[in-house]
Amino acid sequence: MRRILTGLLAAGLAACAGSALAQGIDDPTRAPYYDSFAGKRVAYIPVAMGFDLTEGWAAGLKEALEPLGMSIDIRDPNWSTDAGAQALTSLITEKPDVIVVHNPDVQSYARLLKRAEEAGIYVVQVNMRSAYSTDVFVGADYVGMGEQIGQRMVDKCAPANGGSGKVAITQGVLTAAASIYQMQGITNVLSKHPEIQLVSNQAADWDSTKAKNIAATVIQQHPDLCMITGFWDVMDVGTAAAIKESGKPVYLLTQGGGNRMVCDGLANGTYSESVVYFVPGQARDMANMIKYLLQQKQPAGATKTTLFTKLDFLTKDNMTAASCWDMPTKG
Amino acid sequence: MGMGRLSQEQIVFGLALLLCVGFALALPGFLTTNNVLNLVRSVSILGILGVAMGLVVIGRGIDLSLVALMAVSVAWALHMVGTGMPLPQALIIALAFSLFIGAVNGWLVAYVEIPAIFATLAMGTLIYGFGRYFLLDLDVVYMPEAARHILWLGQGTLFGVPVPIFLFAAVCLGGHLFLRYAKSGRYLRAVGDNMLAARITGVPARPVVVLQYVLSSLIGFMAGIVTAASVASMNTRLAISTYVYDVILVVVLGGIGLSGGRGGIRNVIVGTLLIGVLLNGMTILDIQYTVQNVIKGAILLTAIVIDTILNPRDEQTAQQGDI
Amino acid sequence: MAVSDTLVRWRYRLVPDHLLGEILTKRWVDNAIPVLILVIVVAVFGSLIPDFFGAASIANLMRQWGEFALIVLALMIVMVAGGIDLSVGSTFALGNIVALALLSVGEWPVWAVVAATLACGAAVGLVNGLLVGYLRLRAFLTTLVTLIIVRAVVDMLLLKYSVAIAGSFVDSDLWYWFGEGGILGVPFSVVVIAVLAIATHLVLSRTRAGWHVLAVGGSRRSAHNVGIPVRRVICMTYVASGTLAALAGVLLASRLGGAGADTGVGLEIAALTAAVLGGNSLGGGRGSAAKAIIGSITVMIMVNGLVRLGVVRGGSSLMLGLVLLAAVAIDVRWLKNRLKFLNKVYVSPTYAELPAAPSTEGASPYALNDRLRSVEAIGLDRIDGPEDVILDGDDNIYVGNRTGDIVRFLAPDYARQEVFAHVGGRPLGMAFAKDGALLVCIGGMGLYRVGMDRSIEKLTDETNRSWFSIIDDSRLRLADDLDIAPDGRVFFSEATIRYEMHEWPVDCLESRGNGRIICFDPNTGTTRTVLKNLVFPNGICVMHDGQSFLFAETWTCRVSRYWFEGPKKGTVEPVIADLPGYPDNINRASDGTYWLALVGMRTPAFDLALKMPGFRKRMARRIAPDEWMYPNINTGCVLRFDEAGRIIETLWDLGGESHPMITSMREHKGHLYIGGILNNRVGRLTLEGVDTSWTGQASYWGGQSSDGAKP
Repeated sequence: MRRILTGLLAAGLAACAGSALAQGIDDPTRAPYYDSFAGKRVAYIPVAMGFDLTEGWAAGLKEALEPLGMSIDIRDPNWSTDAGAQALTSLITEKPDVIVVHNPDVQSYARLLKRAEEAGIYVVQVNMRSAYSTDVFVGADYVGMGEQIGQRMVDKCAPANGGSGKVAITQGVLTAAASIYQMQGITNVLSKHPEIQLVSNQAADWDSTKAKNIAATVIQQHPDLCMITGFWDVMDVGTAAAIKESGKPVYLLTQGGGNRMVCDGLANGTYSESVVYFVPGQARDMANMIKYLLQQKQPAGATKTTLFTKLDFLTKDNMTAASCWDMPTKG
Repeated sequence: MGMGRLSQEQIVFGLALLLCVGFALALPGFLTTNNVLNLVRSVSILGILGVAMGLVVIGRGIDLSLVALMAVSVAWALHMVGTGMPLPQALIIALAFSLFIGAVNGWLVAYVEIPAIFATLAMGTLIYGFGRYFLLDLDVVYMPEAARHILWLGQGTLFGVPVPIFLFAAVCLGGHLFLRYAKSGRYLRAVGDNMLAARITGVPARPVVVLQYVLSSLIGFMAGIVTAASVASMNTRLAISTYVYDVILVVVLGGIGLSGGRGGIRNVIVGTLLIGVLLNGMTILDIQYTVQNVIKGAILLTAIVIDTILNPRDEQTAQQGDI
Repeated sequence: MAVSDTLVRWRYRLVPDHLLGEILTKRWVDNAIPVLILVIVVAVFGSLIPDFFGAASIANLMRQWGEFALIVLALMIVMVAGGIDLSVGSTFALGNIVALALLSVGEWPVWAVVAATLACGAAVGLVNGLLVGYLRLRAFLTTLVTLIIVRAVVDMLLLKYSVAIAGSFVDSDLWYWFGEGGILGVPFSVVVIAVLAIATHLVLSRTRAGWHVLAVGGSRRSAHNVGIPVRRVICMTYVASGTLAALAGVLLASRLGGAGADTGVGLEIAALTAAVLGGNSLGGGRGSAAKAIIGSITVMIMVNGLVRLGVVRGGSSLMLGLVLLAAVAIDVRWLKNRLKFLNKVYVSPTYAELPAAPSTEGASPYALNDRLRSVEAIGLDRIDGPEDVILDGDDNIYVGNRTGDIVRFLAPDYARQEVFAHVGGRPLGMAFAKDGALLVCIGGMGLYRVGMDRSIEKLTDETNRSWFSIIDDSRLRLADDLDIAPDGRVFFSEATIRYEMHEWPVDCLESRGNGRIICFDPNTGTTRTVLKNLVFPNGICVMHDGQSFLFAETWTCRVSRYWFEGPKKGTVEPVIADLPGYPDNINRASDGTYWLALVGMRTPAFDLALKMPGFRKRMARRIAPDEWMYPNINTGCVLRFDEAGRIIETLWDLGGESHPMITSMREHKGHLYIGGILNNRVGRLTLEGVDTSWTGQASYWGGQSSDGAKP
């Protein structure tokens, strides 16, 4: 019933518009603009749904692209690279117009991404670059990020600046590509600063309980520890708990997608500082690049564009209400 | 097991002591009160889960859904509190859910007669999927302000000793008393030792099997509360991690045979201690995580090999289908 | 009444109830539930996913499946020997990274890379095998620990080489062909798994090594006690498993060319799921390559389908868990109840209406008498169950014995007996061939020839298989009685193809045409089925014309005649259609007529039951076999009839005092020798007014007999 009413209304409006057409001048770029998007399919393969980054990107893409008549199709491998590879392989045969892929590592999808481009599908990579460069990469520059983190360690903890010089690192898994690149960056800086002593460099498997145990032991062994940097804010909740229990003034530098929970954590002292790549911004970058590609209609893989995301070092002092974003609420 | 021979429990205990002595000599900060407390605290959750798993294994079962159930039910409780439900009500609902799933596990094993390893494996996957699909929006659920009261369970101290250690001790004591003095505890051991014989002598074998899974889900829920309290959040990805393997290792390493009927809570404690000493020492030594795993694996393997050499099984004594 | 009878008759004629039980006896039925699950999964996802059956979609699916199936096959080999290998996932990852590192960093040639990677996997398997096989550690725990160690090694290799691997490019078409090419359009990995699965199947089912593996899985203790090198066998299964897992790793390396951190994580669970869904049992003894293949396809389609459907947030875990649970539950119940169910449904009675039984009173030719009362006993209590009796030219008596012997009583007084030949099975019908050799039907074994020099030779134990029989009816289960045509062809009856020797009375509950008559031609060495669907064909006797034989069908109480030569060749004619009892053996009599033994007499109750198949079915399902209603086989008689079916005389032993049970009789020189399958003696009755020089051998083969007399 409702649908019929809407239809009638639309028909009426169209009739009005038809009669009104004679009076205004239409923007000549409008029709091609909308035509180039109507009915286009975007497929999105994150490493998993259900955490801030991937949910934020999905929400941002939907918000930007769905009103233009495009459909967003999410394939959720749920942390399984193999399932992700299967999803990608199937997509190549299904031929959507764009694939947005969040690589679990630099290599696993490389061959498949190449095949996807050869099949004429635009490929947008987000946050984790594959060994094979495709049309667009949007994301953090992890080596640069590591260097900035290393610099923060020096600034905060060098004996010259009043610190003890002792720092600890809690990684997620050692083999995660983001970890490898960041470590590279950190090492680049620390190698120039022998006064900074790396007392612990452990992996906690992204598990906050393990992170807590590691932090507790390290603080126990090094009561004068100056700083711990963790590679994921979710995991570092555990590190923060260990610091709180020890009662020591250890500086906790974490990182993540910068959702509301991080600002809360900074505000209540869970974290001292967080390196944030602004997820809605990344989503907007991706959406714009997709719009660009679809309007250019060039063959897939013709150009390679990289957009590094600006990194914010948020602390209690410099954050504002707009620094963090809210998780999309679901129906 | 003859008098002249060492049991696996004694071997593992010996290994743990040996490591302790080694670390104490090599690492200055190892044998301090604080570090020992920290060591025990760090494995107390593992130990609580070990007691849950131990009870099931003594009853000749295995509960691979333990961690998944713990993660999902506790995360759900936190989620409900986050949406405005009073804490006690949320905890009771989540606990009821947990116990219900435990009973379903038991029913599948005892009445449908699916091998425990599959019933609980499938239930673990199913619980995780169910929780993520219907109950929770995100992988990680943070402790809401309204649930701050239970933080003490994970982060507080009593007489200078972290609360999780007391909880671990309490669960161990409860488990021990149950196995030793409760009628159903004795039934559980009988069923684990020889289900057919137990049934013939009048033990209500199937209800006892259901009971062991309900107990494991109950203790698992407690472990989950402590986990959530100690890190102020619950990450449901634990459910699909290999954490449950660690729990099994603790149990079996301590000397509880997977063929059921043998062992007790003491074995869990010994196994937990060995893992705790290992992890703590290696963290202090700042050994790379992957190397830690190799060392851990090698020591576990050594323990199993020594046990097999001292208490050999051969083709005549091995039970068929006992893997 | 008549209408309902007709309905019942048609109902049982049209619906082949017995097939259900026969299907359930087949070993491949074990795979029925896994296949059913597979079909359901394919149907569901095929209908939900557009273009699921498209060529490209299928090709992609198959290529990925090939690797997964290798892992499942690896796990199956270990499981079938009673172990478990949780380290397959880690070994898979190890194979992947080793192959990539050797290829792109070490720059080895492709063949060397493949060989080295396989060796690497085999080495991991060898470690598992030594620990589990030789040191006898617990498989679950040991492979759990090796899983952790191998995974840590993989992580170390990743840290060291992953950047180098990512940066290099392999210049080898052969290498890419592994992962992207194929043979005749079939992806290479599928070719590999197909070859390996067939090889595994052949090894497990056809070779000594495979039987050892199955034996160890079936019962390690028994395998050890019969001298199988249990430890080595177990060790080798792990080596095989490690090698196969590494091979899968090579294929993955070639397909994706990437060393991911989580390659193979949790794969052991998926593989275990697949193996169990396929019907391989945990703990060993039950497993096959086909089961591994079925299970792996099911899981592959499910995982891939759920990803492609775009199920988010754990929905696929939920589905996977549910399906695994349901599948295993069904499989467990099925395994547990299959035999129970089979026992209930195997006996499938059909409608059988007998003509009214003739009277045994008064003027009836079957009238009761006591003529067998004077029978004398030979070998009393020294013989057990002489089903048939035969005498040679020297008047020695040959009988079968329950102990698997042919016993000979020596003429003239038959006080001495000896084992003439030990044949190993229950000897039933016997006949002398033209050359003097004794041909004998042995229940459960077939048709055998025992020469006078006591040599035993198998003539035949199989016949042509019927195309549409579900039971393999090429084997002879219950060869019963035989006779020999003048040209040497041997016609023998097989009473039933559905029951073993010791269950023969159960066949009566069915009263279906389960039996047949088979011809063995010694001239060509061939065996062919001549007549099918006979109701417990029993006695068989070549008639005096040498062109036809008489045969008795026990449960339908009739004797018929079949022409195998002459103008009426190939036709069957009834001779006696309404016997008062259950006919057994038929033999020639000296005056050109025929002797017939009735093993038991019909009873009105049982005759009625034969018209009520539903009643008999309920009986077979609900009560214990000991309580079933069986035909009477305790009281019988001997009768003589002529070619036209006229009954000439009947010999009874009222009360069974002298000779209780009768399955056969043989006339020889004026005496009738009587055998019975449950008897403890051979009876001997002196016949009045017959040719006292007549012998069966002379009747068949003329001058061969020692005295050369002719009837």
